[in-house]
Amino acid sequence: MNVYQPFRVRVEEKIDETADTRTLKLKFLDPDVANTFDFKAGQFGEYSVFGAGECTFCIASSPTRKGYIECSFKTVGKVTSAMKDLEVGDVMGFRGPYGNAFPMEKMHGGNVVFIAGGIGLAPVRCVIWNVLDERAKYKDVTIVYGARTVADLVYKRELEDWGKRPDVKLWTTVDPGGETPDWKGQVGFVPAIVEKAAPKAENSWAVVCGPPVMIKYTIPVLKKMGFTEDRILTTLENRMKCGIGKCGRCNIGPVYVCKDGPVFTAQEMAKLPNEF
Amino acid sequence: MSTTTFIRTEDLKGLVADLRAAGVGVAGPARTSDGAVDYRSINAFDDVVLDAQPRNSLKQFFLPPTEPLFKYQRKGSDVAILEISATFPPRVIVGARPCDAAAVDVLDHVMNWDYKDEPWFGRREATTIVSFACPGGDRSCFCTAVGLGPDATRGSDLLLVPAGDGYYVEVVTEKGKRLVDAYPKRFGAGAGVDATLSYREKARASVEGHVPARPDVIRQWVQEHFEDPFWADISLRCHGCGGCAAACPTCHCFDIVDEPETLDAGTRRRNWDTCQTSVFTAHASGHNPRADQCGRCRQRVNHKFAIYPARFNDILCTGCGRCARTCPAGQDVTEILTRIVAMATGQGGAA
Amino acid sequence: MTELRELARRLLSEGTVNAVLGWEEGPRGARPAFVTTPDGADRLIFDHRCVHNLASYLSPRRPHLKRLGKVAMVLKPCDARAVAGLIRETQVPRENIVLIGVRCGGVVTDPDSDAALSEATVADRCRGCPDREGRLADHTVGTAGPGFPGPSHRAQKIEELAAKPADQRWAFWQEELSKCVRCHACRQVCPMCFCDRCLADKTQPRWIESSPHARGNMAWHVARAMHLAGRCVDCGECERVCPQGIPLGLITRKIASVVAERYDFRPSDDPAVPAPVGTYRMDDPQEFIL
Repeated sequence: MNVYQPFRVRVEEKIDETADTRTLKLKFLDPDVANTFDFKAGQFGEYSVFGAGECTFCIASSPTRKGYIECSFKTVGKVTSAMKDLEVGDVMGFRGPYGNAFPMEKMHGGNVVFIAGGIGLAPVRCVIWNVLDERAKYKDVTIVYGARTVADLVYKRELEDWGKRPDVKLWTTVDPGGETPDWKGQVGFVPAIVEKAAPKAENSWAVVCGPPVMIKYTIPVLKKMGFTEDRILTTLENRMKCGIGKCGRCNIGPVYVCKDGPVFTAQEMAKLPNEF
Repeated sequence: MSTTTFIRTEDLKGLVADLRAAGVGVAGPARTSDGAVDYRSINAFDDVVLDAQPRNSLKQFFLPPTEPLFKYQRKGSDVAILEISATFPPRVIVGARPCDAAAVDVLDHVMNWDYKDEPWFGRREATTIVSFACPGGDRSCFCTAVGLGPDATRGSDLLLVPAGDGYYVEVVTEKGKRLVDAYPKRFGAGAGVDATLSYREKARASVEGHVPARPDVIRQWVQEHFEDPFWADISLRCHGCGGCAAACPTCHCFDIVDEPETLDAGTRRRNWDTCQTSVFTAHASGHNPRADQCGRCRQRVNHKFAIYPARFNDILCTGCGRCARTCPAGQDVTEILTRIVAMATGQGGAA
Repeated sequence: MTELRELARRLLSEGTVNAVLGWEEGPRGARPAFVTTPDGADRLIFDHRCVHNLASYLSPRRPHLKRLGKVAMVLKPCDARAVAGLIRETQVPRENIVLIGVRCGGVVTDPDSDAALSEATVADRCRGCPDREGRLADHTVGTAGPGFPGPSHRAQKIEELAAKPADQRWAFWQEELSKCVRCHACRQVCPMCFCDRCLADKTQPRWIESSPHARGNMAWHVARAMHLAGRCVDCGECERVCPQGIPLGLITRKIASVVAERYDFRPSDDPAVPAPVGTYRMDDPQEFIL
């Protein structure tokens, strides 16, 4: 047994979110692991398809929901293509949880604003569930989520659920030109919709994840509204292999994304050299 | 530990013979078929070459160029994982250079950082390192500038320094003591430390001054000058060949790959890798944060002289000079570090 | 050397080029130099330690070098064959580089060597080289020594190997290639290895296993030999750079002689001469297909 050996997990469910994005629901084969496995919102794992290799994704489900974990991925390369070929019942591997987590305790008693774009909703969804499963611990919850087109929106069934909740303010949007005739949500880029939603900054935390260009334009909008950099949280994606700080790949400046991240505040991100 | 002893050269030959007879693997610097000196398996102390720095380092003995992490076997939709043992047969390295022994110790930090790397430590536990104080280096050596020296004991279990008709022995660790105690007839009284002083001084003099001994200054400059044109300047000649990383005793970056051997079974391996290749940081999406050699050259210096020290309070370099010797394009670490100190202290600018 | 320096100074001060790529004195002997100012031209040297093939710096896949813009390059006659190959394969437009040919009588393998150039120290690939100056040049400077006659020691070694039965030859290469750690330094220094994404780096599918075990190493070196056949100019850089001392020069020499024998082609410094790869002649030998 060594630290590089994964747990075995079985695919319980596969859900196609979009044409090239899928969610897998996974259960640990070993009952001891299944009963004791725990993690914190924001942590990631190394998911294996034996024979193809390993791939890094955040755990997209919440630690408040026991007995299984979920991951959502876009098919871009060798391992994700192999993951797309998996059927319900197939066994794959999982190593983790690795990395740091969102500071949930610090966020208790505050308002939380979730801002996500495209598949960036996956790591944020983990935190959304975490918050909604303990709803009383938080004040206002706002979700702003957008994608290029309606077809690119992920977790559509959950967006519906969140939209129906009276204790959640949900704004969904698509890029101009991405709407369908019966689209009832917003049309506009995510940063513009964040301005429209105008969540209050006082006693608030922002959890932001999406394409780099979205983050680049969203953070100034938040700062203009009064959010401070230490309360804007994001999760960074970087090429990783071992996930445990040894292989050297995810190093950015003085930071190892797998050990010091993947969750960073905008303040910490500003100190990172432009190498990600 | 501060015990010392002595071993006559004849007894040293006998010790190696004893170890081989007991089935213990022995490795040391020896001639290769192409006339170089490499650390490799040896059968007798007569094979050992002590007057040249080996071309390779001790890294391969603890982090092999390729090693299996586990095997997998698919059966229908199920997969079985077959473990690989992390215990290894005992082995003694005879004739390690102090820069190489120290490098192994430096790597223990990262290999034990929050998660213990069992294959690394399995090999560490099984190996006893008997170092020989270095007779001196060439102009690319700078061990004294990074807190070490030709007779440094760091990372060694025993350090032998030539004296009289054999070697003055410093017993550095418990493991070294166990080796001495296991072969008591081979060790005894002999020349004292005074007989080793001129050897040590001569060796030290040959390596001092190649790089200013200011690792703190280097670290600070590197941390504060991420965008400096210095990096673009030195990267022009770099081919990104990774020869430096292959030769380096402390470069440890690795890749993890799955290799199917049949349709249903295969091995997950880890292999040596280097931040100098263009694909090291390439995302599957096509985005590459370090898209050219400028960033990659900077990363090597940054990791060794700023990042690792900031994280582990230790420099990821033992001053062995192999990178300078092996580089096909004349990139020279002593030149780079000397220029950095000059820029940092305002005494001279970028050439 | 004065001739070379004056020419470089003139090209830079007139703005004909932004940089001159040549050799300079480094901490460990001669090394590649990138001179971007007229004053810097004084750094340029040329002597028998200038073994490096600078053509690899012309690869369009080196964005940090492309930024230099138009360059002048100092080249030995053998380097010119590599530059011709790059031009022939449309990697470098001829009009984008100024070529400064330097007359050459042979080099040693170690750029840090103190030894004089002699029969004992000359690089094996210089033995029997007939070219004292190259034809692919805009300017030619320097004086050449007389050169060195053959035979090549590698050619003798290759003959010895060829005389052995196949299983012994296989065992020889298994042994030599077992030293390979897949650093790919051989590829990185090679002027003809300029692929945007090397076959060995592709993962879908994984054509060549990346692990440095027997299987992976053999696959890598055989694939590289096949990809270089007819293109390699036998500059010897791959063997010089290998940190493990693998005799790659035996492979390069062997494939060059196979290509010469079968396709009547030797690497030429004339970009207009068609190379076997990419050229089909009706009389091409094809008994291995039919």
